[in-house]
Amino acid sequence: MCRMVLAHMCVMTMNGALRDPFQYVKMGVGVGNFGETNMDVQPILDMKHITMRFGKRTLFEDVSISLHRGETVGVSGPSGGGKSTLLRIAVNLVTPTEGVVTFKGKDVNEWDPRELRRQMILVPQQATMFPGTVRDNLLWGLRIHKMKSTEQDLLDVLLQVNLEPKMLDRVAGNLSGGEKQRIAIARALLLRPDVLLLDEPTSALDEDSTLIVEATVNRVIAEREIGVLIVTHNREQAERFTSSVVEIGNSEARK
Amino acid sequence: MMIQQIPTLLDWLATLPPDVVNAATSYAIAMVLLVLLLLISKWQGLGVGNKLIVGTIRGTIQIILMALILVEIFALENLAIIFFVLFFMAAFAAYTVRGNLDHIPGVFVTSLPGIIAGGVGVMALATVLGIVEQTGEFIIPMGGMVIGNSMGMTSLVLDRMWSNAQKQRALVETALALGASPIQATEVTIRESIRSGMLPNLNRYASLGIVSIPGLMSGMIIGGANPVAAAFYQVIIFIMIFLSTVICGLIVSRLFLKHMFNEKLQLTVPPPAH
Repeated sequence: MCRMVLAHMCVMTMNGALRDPFQYVKMGVGVGNFGETNMDVQPILDMKHITMRFGKRTLFEDVSISLHRGETVGVSGPSGGGKSTLLRIAVNLVTPTEGVVTFKGKDVNEWDPRELRRQMILVPQQATMFPGTVRDNLLWGLRIHKMKSTEQDLLDVLLQVNLEPKMLDRVAGNLSGGEKQRIAIARALLLRPDVLLLDEPTSALDEDSTLIVEATVNRVIAEREIGVLIVTHNREQAERFTSSVVEIGNSEARK
Repeated sequence: MMIQQIPTLLDWLATLPPDVVNAATSYAIAMVLLVLLLLISKWQGLGVGNKLIVGTIRGTIQIILMALILVEIFALENLAIIFFVLFFMAAFAAYTVRGNLDHIPGVFVTSLPGIIAGGVGVMALATVLGIVEQTGEFIIPMGGMVIGNSMGMTSLVLDRMWSNAQKQRALVETALALGASPIQATEVTIRESIRSGMLPNLNRYASLGIVSIPGLMSGMIIGGANPVAAAFYQVIIFIMIFLSTVICGLIVSRLFLKHMFNEKLQLTVPPPAH
């Protein structure tokens, strides 16, 4: 209970004192910018007029999002509306039918895909663990990017996502959905990204853990000045956690 | 007309050596086993019935033709011609893999370099080192075994990589989303499929002489070779098979990544149909 209150206080502080008041911008299928945070500064992630079609089916059309350092923008909309696809487009795992995505002012197609995805990390909704222990999973990203870390770094990141240090040597595949989700976030944080793309990061968590993860993300935003684009179904979460919300696919996935 | 031809056919059969007639009779009876296999395949819905029928007809014709020219091939001492035959075998092996994995793109162009490098390459190395006598009698049958096993490895690696990319799509995309290269995103699949491809031969290797008396040694003993010499050759062929399958698996898996990922490091394998 105490933990809940603390986490909630942290969220309140971030959204109240340090950041702009919440703005909810209903986009429908259309364009939008939202929030007035850092509007005068070049966005770190800029998605302009993004349209996604599969054959004759339009998933979403003309969606624009600007994300600045230290800002949290929410993406909302009905199931199957293309929210997850939008995040995958941001890291160039999928190419949009129309539109341009720039990261740090450079078209994502001009980035080395590996470096792009190191600096802007997508944490999928279904947290997938690699074979091995939690430690193996945390070290996985560091190993492929030849980055160093200490045992203390691993323990710190576990604490950040409210997991016990003794969890390091547990088999990752045996963890609960909520634990896997937090390990996936921790795995991403260890790579020290500039942007985090979170796809329903708290969908498998209880309320207590949800608030703690939100507090963690807020703390990381404050400490590292990263930008966060978060897909959420939860209107309340969007209101307390993000500075603005883009709603996509609202006027149905059109044929 | 047909009736008039029957004595002619009987005359021709009478000219065949008795061992050929006996083998042909056994072959005809063995079709009962094939029918049994087809029934089991249909009952269990294995979906390999047509492949078994076509394979039996095609395989019988191929191997009889091969048998007819084998005498000439075994007598070959010209290494260029011998290795031309091996290249032909490798190309046919790659063609066969493509036929069995016709739902997967890029199979032939991926398989051919792997089977040539693994199968033909190891045979060339063994020939240069003097491990294998430089006659068709040794190089062709040993090459056949090495290429055949490389073909099996190729099939397994390609099938596993493709189906894992479909079934474990989330795992591959999680790796890509963390900035993995295609080879890093598929390293576990590649390692496991190469290990799986080696497993049957590793089992035979471990039980060599006790549970299994493999083909090459049996053939040499039946052919009149000294059993001890045959035994040495059997171990040699196992080592050659392991080396060729590992080389082949590694090359094929790396070449195949170009057909699974594009230059933006996006996964291009479509999700499973159902």
